[in-house]
Amino acid sequence: MKKMIFGFIAIVAIAFSACKGKEPVIDNGPGPRDYSVSVSGKIVTVKNLDADTILGFTALGQPFGAGKYTFFSLVNNSRVTSTDSATSNWDIAFRGSRILVNNGTSGPGNGGGFVFAEGFDGVNSVPADSTFLIDNNTNNTFAISNPSGISWYIYDGPNNLLNTTPGRTLIIKTANGKYAKLEILNYYRGGSTPSSTASNDVKAYDSRYYTFRYTYQPDGTTNF
Amino acid sequence: MVKSIVFTALLFITKSFLYAQAISNDDTTKWLNEVIVTSTRTASKLANVAVPVQVISQKTIKQSGALRLKDILQEQAGLSITNGFGAGIQMQGLNPDYTLILINGEPLVGRTAGVLDINRISIGNIKKIEIVKGPSSSLYGSEAMAGVINIITEEPTKQSLETSIRVGFGNPDKGWISPVEALVDKDAFKSTDINLDGATKIKNTSIRYTGNAYYVDGVSYRPYSTLRVPQPIWRITNQVQLNTKIDEKTQFGLFVRQGYDHIKQEFSVGNNGGINNTYGRETNYDVNFNPSIVRQFNKNIKSTLRYYQTLFVGSQKLFFNEKPDSSYVDEFRQHFYRLENQTEINFQNNRLSIGGGYTIDDANSTRYDNINNRKRNTISYAFVQNEWTPSPKLTLIAGARYDHNKLFAAALSPKLAFRYNPNRKLHFKASIGRGFKAPDFRQLYLNFTNNAAGGYSVLGTIDAIKTINQLNTQGLISDLKSDFYKLNTLTPEFSTGINIGGGYILSNKLQFQFNYFLNEIKDMIDYRQVATKTNGAQIFSYINVKNAYTQGIEAEVTWNPYNKLNITSGYQYLVSEDLDDLKNISSRKVFTRNPDGTSRVMTADEYRGLPNRSKHLYNVKFFYEPTDRIFITLRVMYKSNWYVSDRDGNGLINSNDESARGYFLTNVSAGKKLGKTTTLMMGIDNLTNYKDVIYLPNLQGRMIFCSVNIKLK
Repeated sequence: MKKMIFGFIAIVAIAFSACKGKEPVIDNGPGPRDYSVSVSGKIVTVKNLDADTILGFTALGQPFGAGKYTFFSLVNNSRVTSTDSATSNWDIAFRGSRILVNNGTSGPGNGGGFVFAEGFDGVNSVPADSTFLIDNNTNNTFAISNPSGISWYIYDGPNNLLNTTPGRTLIIKTANGKYAKLEILNYYRGGSTPSSTASNDVKAYDSRYYTFRYTYQPDGTTNF
Repeated sequence: MVKSIVFTALLFITKSFLYAQAISNDDTTKWLNEVIVTSTRTASKLANVAVPVQVISQKTIKQSGALRLKDILQEQAGLSITNGFGAGIQMQGLNPDYTLILINGEPLVGRTAGVLDINRISIGNIKKIEIVKGPSSSLYGSEAMAGVINIITEEPTKQSLETSIRVGFGNPDKGWISPVEALVDKDAFKSTDINLDGATKIKNTSIRYTGNAYYVDGVSYRPYSTLRVPQPIWRITNQVQLNTKIDEKTQFGLFVRQGYDHIKQEFSVGNNGGINNTYGRETNYDVNFNPSIVRQFNKNIKSTLRYYQTLFVGSQKLFFNEKPDSSYVDEFRQHFYRLENQTEINFQNNRLSIGGGYTIDDANSTRYDNINNRKRNTISYAFVQNEWTPSPKLTLIAGARYDHNKLFAAALSPKLAFRYNPNRKLHFKASIGRGFKAPDFRQLYLNFTNNAAGGYSVLGTIDAIKTINQLNTQGLISDLKSDFYKLNTLTPEFSTGINIGGGYILSNKLQFQFNYFLNEIKDMIDYRQVATKTNGAQIFSYINVKNAYTQGIEAEVTWNPYNKLNITSGYQYLVSEDLDDLKNISSRKVFTRNPDGTSRVMTADEYRGLPNRSKHLYNVKFFYEPTDRIFITLRVMYKSNWYVSDRDGNGLINSNDESARGYFLTNVSAGKKLGKTTTLMMGIDNLTNYKDVIYLPNLQGRMIFCSVNIKLK
């Protein structure tokens, strides 16, 4: 219930910020904000999870963060401290647009995953012919591949914005070898993408905040 | 698509019914004798023109107080101004890349990202502007896909001297300000335009000079801000036209034009928590040199030999306050040469035009591999056109042009057109033609890496395969996309355009015209990701992939309730769709997002077609001359909302994407002639002070202006 209330407050906050219309967001700056978790039936929604948010720009104008991953447990619906990165306590990790699963070079778990071209609601079970990929940092292949346009987002170059692609579901094998389906809803602070004409500062400092929803199947079956 | 055809048909029927109701009188026609040169590249009476044309007269331009080409084109039915890389022109729903802009029949060059900034062109003292809609590649070759805009300068006929000075001012935040306030208010913007025009005749030679200087302040939309959103601009144009009669049958002509723009740049970029103040300038420089000889061999044969050379240099230079020893330079140079002959043969009821020429098109750019490496395309081309007029009622035109390109595939552009005037009041026109647009230098040679936004690269097709293979052997490519294997010699983009229309002249008092158009474009060039570097950066290149169409109707009514008042009203309804998007939507492969961010399958009725297009364009214009010494004008233009960017990440435009709000633009002017030589004029552009800082950053607020024009002889 507490989480629900938290979620409600978050929604109201977003609604209020949306009411401001197209005014450019002026309040911004480096550093993480609070995230929230709300549960509704089988679906868990996580809002505003910071994932190596921007600290500044290099001399060439490239935004940079601290380079640290944010770890999350789909089993416990909560963030996992980074000191537990080498354990099976986490199922998914985020750093910028890079997403890890707990297996291979990323962790000791029994995890895996792939990006499935189907809407979240349309995925009722793990497809029978699924192959779960694992992360291999050395040859730069990851279970959740992240090139723009063909995976879970499109990078809008002219407007310098990352738009998450609708109709893409991440099928995740958790560290304990069970299944979850996950949809990334937004990549920006407060779960709302800045206006295309917002400044590059706003676009950078407000980025790398994940809003996503997922359904975890604890009984070990492939049905959601 | 069927639905939209039915809808447009219904709309047309309703509209023509409405106009038919309004019609009541009867009379003859003077305007049918107007001579048009752009539609057939021969002098044709409007009564024989078989394609949609619009003519803007010098009088209209002057009474509107229009200074730049953009000012007057934005007031024409069916034309829409685009923002980004200057002001571009959108015709029949096609991007600015697809409209050819000519001065005296020769093309202007120097496009940025496909856009030719129509603010570059001064229209202070031109004879008229002819606009031909529909594909005209059968005569003009590349770029004439949506249509052609031809600016025709005034010929030196007799001695004359004319000068005008215009000053304008405004403040978008305060709205109304007095001239005194404008001088002291630092947030006010001021504009000045000076025009000088003189012509003289010595024996068989006549010569005309036109000079224009234009200045407009930057505008700050935020009160007390030192940064001006549109930046201060200077523009200078010099033009000389010389005509000489060599003998009874031979005329020599020379047209030289020089244009220069200087746009101040000053902005701040956030960098590492601090602010970088950046300042610099953007300049555009172009020269046009166009000698020609026309010989009338006999009553039936006329031949024209033309040479044309034009140079465009566009550059941007920026300095950084915090890093005084570094600078950013971006430069583009284009040099275009053409030699052409056109011969016109009249026999019986036929007029045959045969022509051919050779073009060299050179470009250098800092965005290619090296500014010093000149890129060159050469084109040899030939065209033929026959205009057959078996009776005054019927005109049939058939023509074709073949362009052979060095750098990419050849293009054949045929066209058929006919016009039927069953009586003096009614006419029908129909035409079908092929248009094409050659790949531009950027699509062939661009070599650009954006370090500020993720380090992605865009490579032109000619260098892409070579460069990526090189990177691959160095182990710098992590994967090649399927589109990499589609990289090949680019072909031109082709379109098939159909225009069907007609007009009804009820009297001098009321005329009505309509046109239906459909442009189907194949093999549109679009950028696609072709490879990924090992550091994750994407590499894009260009391939012929997209298929799309635009279609719509355009209607215009001219009404003179009495002699002194002229009212015209134009409307365009437009539908545009990407055929591949449509296919994906119908196979339920496209998703969108609910307001809460969750995704679902998108339905076909949510699709909004191609971005940056308004479905409805409407205008109404009043030109009133109570006496021949006074004029008053009121022009109101409406543009409905247009979609600007994909927000839900599905790669196409649907109803929950970001759109800019539709708006009305209202301009008024009035003038009075004093004595024999002087005309005083006042006007207000953007009377309602409409502003849209985000989507129309270059739309100034309300500007009040006054001008004095003195004309001797």
